[in-house]
Amino acid sequence: MAGMPIIRGVGLTKIYGNLVALTDANFAVMPGEVRALIGSNGAGKSTLVKILTGAVAPTLGTVEIAGEAAPLGNPRETIRRGVACIYQHSNLAPAMSVLDNIFLGRQPTRWLGLIDRRRQRREAVALLDRHGIDLDLDATVGSLPAVKQKEVEIMKALALDARAILMDEPTGWLAASEVAKLHATIRMLRARGVGIVYISHVLNEIFSVCDTITIMRDGKIIAESAVADIDRPRVVHLMVGEKLARESAQASHQKRHPRGTGEARLRAHNLTKRGVFKDVSFDLYAGEIFCITGLIGSKRTELVRTLFGSDRFDGGTLEVEGQPATFRSPVGAIARGIGFVPEDRHREGLMLNMSVTENLAMAMLGRFRRGFLLSRGRMVDAGRRAISILSIQPPDGKRPVALLSGGNQQKVLVGKWLNRAPRILILDEPTVGIDVGAKAEIYAILRRERELGAAMLVVSSDLEEVMTLADRIGVMVAGRLAAIHDADTTQMDEIVREIGGVAA
Amino acid sequence: MSLGSTTTLTDVSRRLAPHALPITLLAIVIAFAVAQPAFLTPDNLIGIVRQVALIGIMATCTTFVIMTGGVDLSVGPVLALAGLVSFYCLQADLPLAIVVLAGLSVGLLVGLANGAVIAFLQLPPIIVTLASLSMVRGSALIVGGPEQHLIRDEPAYTFIGAGNLFGVPSPVYLFALVALVMIFIQRSTPLGLLVTAIGDNERAADLSGHRTRVTKTMVYAISGLGAALAGIIQSSQVHTALATYGPFGTELDVIAAVVLGGTSIMGGNGSVARTLLGVFFLGVLNNGMNILDVPIDIQLIAKGVIIVVALAMAARGT
Repeated sequence: MAGMPIIRGVGLTKIYGNLVALTDANFAVMPGEVRALIGSNGAGKSTLVKILTGAVAPTLGTVEIAGEAAPLGNPRETIRRGVACIYQHSNLAPAMSVLDNIFLGRQPTRWLGLIDRRRQRREAVALLDRHGIDLDLDATVGSLPAVKQKEVEIMKALALDARAILMDEPTGWLAASEVAKLHATIRMLRARGVGIVYISHVLNEIFSVCDTITIMRDGKIIAESAVADIDRPRVVHLMVGEKLARESAQASHQKRHPRGTGEARLRAHNLTKRGVFKDVSFDLYAGEIFCITGLIGSKRTELVRTLFGSDRFDGGTLEVEGQPATFRSPVGAIARGIGFVPEDRHREGLMLNMSVTENLAMAMLGRFRRGFLLSRGRMVDAGRRAISILSIQPPDGKRPVALLSGGNQQKVLVGKWLNRAPRILILDEPTVGIDVGAKAEIYAILRRERELGAAMLVVSSDLEEVMTLADRIGVMVAGRLAAIHDADTTQMDEIVREIGGVAA
Repeated sequence: MSLGSTTTLTDVSRRLAPHALPITLLAIVIAFAVAQPAFLTPDNLIGIVRQVALIGIMATCTTFVIMTGGVDLSVGPVLALAGLVSFYCLQADLPLAIVVLAGLSVGLLVGLANGAVIAFLQLPPIIVTLASLSMVRGSALIVGGPEQHLIRDEPAYTFIGAGNLFGVPSPVYLFALVALVMIFIQRSTPLGLLVTAIGDNERAADLSGHRTRVTKTMVYAISGLGAALAGIIQSSQVHTALATYGPFGTELDVIAAVVLGGTSIMGGNGSVARTLLGVFFLGVLNNGMNILDVPIDIQLIAKGVIIVVALAMAARGT
């Protein structure tokens, strides 16, 4: 290969206590290369990334930046030498301007340490011009769409002269049309010789934007290839191993059940929340999975929160099993048989420091009540059953949820409703940020609940997921439910067009 | 790679860190016992428990508040007001049960008010209970005035704080009872689990269908009850009710005991049993330094240093 890698790890091994997280990994990125890094949760991706960014020092091995030995376990120095990382969750200060965020913590100063605002602006404008990125420097970051916020983070990295940028699940919070914009930015960076590591679970994205791919499993790099020389089934196969690959292939040929058993469990009629969503009408039937998709900001989350009583609506009617419903809090909704899996499992879903068993029991403590007392024994039994049915790994009810992989955390979050046998289950982005194998398992769990007759409402930005899972598909555009389709007679491109509808 | 072939010093310290407090407690007990053999006599040990009983009752009862990420600064004046209310009930010749219930109801009401404002109006606990610290102290001064109120010829009432059964002072029994009840609530009732859940992730508890605001209100009520019980015991012990009992700093001793025990001031992690450890730690420290005739100024400084060191050691374990 021509030239020298921007960043290169040689023989990287990392051991935590008795756990070998990474074994003898060799990894390199050339200038102008977009390299995908893919692997199931627990495959060692994040350990590799942490070593490359200097967040942790490897037990064995060395890192070189532009051909020079880099200090190990020194994030500050690593950044100074031009290696930046953009994490899945934003590291921006939302109340500050784009300009201030780009220079946060290292503003150019004048005499007496005053911020040199003119120089700051001059440098930022030059930077935007050089990279052809269009950003309003005075906009408040929090008011920008998610993709623009990613661009701000990229600018922040570039302002530090980053020559290698590691992006961890960069599209996790973006909608489909925003992904394309981000990819355009990435291609531009590539043309300017920046080396990019693109960590993602979404195969579509990898095949659309990456040049090369590194696949990890069980703490090892098991394959490297040019993206042009490998196909998707092969990637999935390498990533998840034999058995899961077969199951996930089968899953996409499922039979659809639009309107399930025909029994309407939930009816929304002209549901309106002023300034948020308007005139939303749909029926949700027992035994079906109804997916609502749309851009981020199309108010899907706000809509389903209203159904669950976590927010209020101020117009229209809601019926649950034929009876009118106005929930003042989740307590009322749960009493009527509704369960809700929120989008952000860390902030809203799980008690991370509590055990798997306790988290699984959280939505039905009443069942373990004996008079005044809590029957820990019954709780542990129920937990053990749930762990085995959901195949939560490791199968240890006492383990704090924080120590589980994202996929297993999500199983706990979904699982806590299942013992209640919910009449209606609402899930907001049920597989965000989890690997292909865990996704397939979550889908299997949802399908099983559907066969048991639950009515399921799934909000998802992941079109692959919607097409795989849905019996019917609703498209939300700018606070309105623009269309509802039967999934078996609908093509993906039709949905894509509708999603873009008014907003594009 | 050979693993575990060498046991390094950092390994040992990491493994011991979660037990830093009991180890340090043991170490200072040994140090005091060597320096002054009188320290280990049964009388002195029971004396320690009696001395910490008031702070101990308040600390165990306020552990839940801190576990939910809150704080209760109003315990000092509640202690004073509860003593005064009991005193006036005694003056009115009411039966003992009513006297005690009246005293406890002071704590219950202040606690419910604190909790309701914090939970339902969603105001920060530190400000709400700071305001209530001021209001309750003011109320105590209105009710009791500046003078001491002597409790005379009330053997049943004074037994609560000054009594003695089988050579053990009655506050020790009450402290043990309160501690056991609180440990039981934490381990064996839904409330205990819910308190941990709210501290860990209140929003998630809400979305799991729990009435988190009601629970938070209850938790402050329990804290108020603890302070009121401490007030009854104190007035009974010293045969006096006074509006300035539970002076400034009482709430800090209580919080210090809870936090020393390892309950996170940010909420979530915590336990009543560990609070007991924190209580005894502070008690042993005070008692030992008194026995060794350490001057009070040095005592205060030493106490502060030891608290920070113990916390720093415990923090390394997490």
